[in-house]
Amino acid sequence: MTRRSRRLLAATGLALAATVALAGCVSTGGTASTTAVTKDASGPLVLQSRFTGAEKAGLEAVIKAFDKKGEGKVQLNSLPTTTFDTQLPSYLTSKNPPDVYTWYAGQATRDFADQGLLLDLSDVWKKSLGNYSSALKTLSSTSKGEQVFVPSDYYWWGVYYSKSEFAKLGITPPKTWDDFLADSAKIKSQGVTPITMGLSDNSWLAAAWFDYLDLRINGAKYHLDLLAGKHSFDSAPVKKVFAAFKQVLPFLSPSVLGTSYNQSMSDLSTGKAGMYLAGAFLETAVPKATRSDLGFFQFPVIDPAVPVSEEAPTDGFMVSAKTTRPALAKRFLEFAAGAKGQSLLLNGEDGISLAVNPSATQTMDALSTQGKQMLQSASQVTQFFNRDAGDAQQTPADTALTQFIAQPNNLDAILTAWQASAVKLRSGS
Amino acid sequence: MAGLGREVAVWFVTSVSTRLGRRRASFPPPVVFALVLVPFVIEAIGVFWPAIQGVMLSFLNWNGIAPAKVVGLGNYASLFADPIFITALKNTAIWIVLFGGLSFVGGLGVALLFQSDRRGVGIYRTALFLPIVFSLVVTALIWDTFFQPTGILNGLLNSLGLHSWTREWLADPATALYAIIVAALWREIGYVMVLFIAGLKALDPAVTEAAKMDGCTRWQRFRYITFPQLRSVNLVILSVLVIDSLRSFDIVWAMTAGGPFNSTQLLSTYMYSEAFQGRQLGYASAIAVIIFVLALGVIITYLVRALSEDKES
Repeated sequence: MTRRSRRLLAATGLALAATVALAGCVSTGGTASTTAVTKDASGPLVLQSRFTGAEKAGLEAVIKAFDKKGEGKVQLNSLPTTTFDTQLPSYLTSKNPPDVYTWYAGQATRDFADQGLLLDLSDVWKKSLGNYSSALKTLSSTSKGEQVFVPSDYYWWGVYYSKSEFAKLGITPPKTWDDFLADSAKIKSQGVTPITMGLSDNSWLAAAWFDYLDLRINGAKYHLDLLAGKHSFDSAPVKKVFAAFKQVLPFLSPSVLGTSYNQSMSDLSTGKAGMYLAGAFLETAVPKATRSDLGFFQFPVIDPAVPVSEEAPTDGFMVSAKTTRPALAKRFLEFAAGAKGQSLLLNGEDGISLAVNPSATQTMDALSTQGKQMLQSASQVTQFFNRDAGDAQQTPADTALTQFIAQPNNLDAILTAWQASAVKLRSGS
Repeated sequence: MAGLGREVAVWFVTSVSTRLGRRRASFPPPVVFALVLVPFVIEAIGVFWPAIQGVMLSFLNWNGIAPAKVVGLGNYASLFADPIFITALKNTAIWIVLFGGLSFVGGLGVALLFQSDRRGVGIYRTALFLPIVFSLVVTALIWDTFFQPTGILNGLLNSLGLHSWTREWLADPATALYAIIVAALWREIGYVMVLFIAGLKALDPAVTEAAKMDGCTRWQRFRYITFPQLRSVNLVILSVLVIDSLRSFDIVWAMTAGGPFNSTQLLSTYMYSEAFQGRQLGYASAIAVIIFVLALGVIITYLVRALSEDKES
């Protein structure tokens, strides 16, 4: 080897070393830049939305009306929920993020606010949302008391059934747990699957059972504390929840883990299955013509001493702290949350959610009227597992619940593993 | 360009002649540096940089939004105490052996069957090769329908009176992984067959003919004549299969997403689910590093063997 080629080799080595050294600065800072924007950048406000179905039409109506006002344009990007959910942290931490996002109220939003990624929307609340309930304000606030979320609508959960099938089976909607189990047995004895779910592609639906059983047995306070990590998933109160869940297992469709959401909906509409614990979104899977045959009842009461709470997942908007159009974003949110915007949004949404603005005019069908009354009479409302616990906690919950459905005698090991995963996820954030 | 080429050629010739013993060595002209540096920089930015960042990330605890914490080898330590990781490791091994092995044997088998140009063979070859035109996600959709609880497979078993054989193929942890492997094989065998047919066509028929004249049985002709001649094709196919096995992700994700309760997690799906559902980017990077080490290990072992065999021959 000559001296020259040795020198070349050394140079290459040096270049490599430099690359390694430079790569050492992985950008994991995470905190948002706090550049004060005095004036809005030109161009439309980018609204990143996770709605591609019925809800999209409502959002489009709002945007159209806002654009007509001539105060600025809004560009809607709609992505499937699963894509949106996984991409959201990347959007918010990128250099030039989209401005406004549809998202879930509660912990799921606070996780981002705590890292300084969200724009303070307190002045929107002060200026335009004075008539919103204080519960909604609390839900939209950070631990520091700033509002970082503008709610748009909320919906209810219930046990859905077909009225005509229930009449055929001789069932009246049960109110208590014992009645519910007796009715399930009665349905099963007539050769119909009492309860179905589409767990093969939507395993998160099983978490509705966990949430409701925990709310009915241990109450909302315990439930929220548990989801916030203050109690353990392998504790005795949680085992009581699973004991109740075990009573339901014989009534679940035997192939519930392998059933897709579409299949489960078809089973409910064709009378192969009797009941379905689901959110109001289920209604869109039923043709409009037969929707009047659809009914739902409140999740039965298990312990009369426990105040009745309900799940009322609230959707809404948040804004990136790095937006270059904060004034336009706030104007748009004020419009969307105002009575007119709310009316447009809700009437475009196919009647599967409720307006958060009390002055909005919304055409209500029998189901949404019932849903609204149920939520108004609830002693407390919760969001849903992933919204109250933080979105990342949903996967271990799905694993535990689906495994319990398949292997109910393995409960202790399942709960230990669930608790371990939950702790691991919390330590990472 | 011509000038540039000449400059390089001149440097090359002089540097070669330097090696051959001339006293005066020339320093390579800047063009040579440019030619080496440009691809190197592109590669560094596009491949090395992210790869090194991935390794760096694996020593951190980071959820993508909060400031990262350095945990040293903590992620690796917790990986080996993580039962889901162990399942994923085991499943990846099963995947390599069954998916890789059966694709190889099956592809070779059908290639031997369909290598001759008899009438009608083209139809079979086309039929076997057809699945390759579907993307893996479409393949997953087709097989998902086939394996549904009320799907074609269970319907078929019921109509044959084999009621006790029916299963929720994709929802039963005992069968789910194998059901996905069947779907993946359906697509891979045709591909491997085409590679083998190409290899078989390149062989000299006279050698086989001679062996036949000498009275070799069919098996002997395959074992001692055909198969050894396919060695270079085997090398390509084995590398393709190992790489395809380790990068398998889409078909599993589309059919079960690693479920039911993590029983079909491969290293790749577990990495994705930890990174983008659990938002544990450091932990997921540690899994990525393990996948990289495994792939590198398998390929280096194979290359070393192949090279040493070359030397022997």
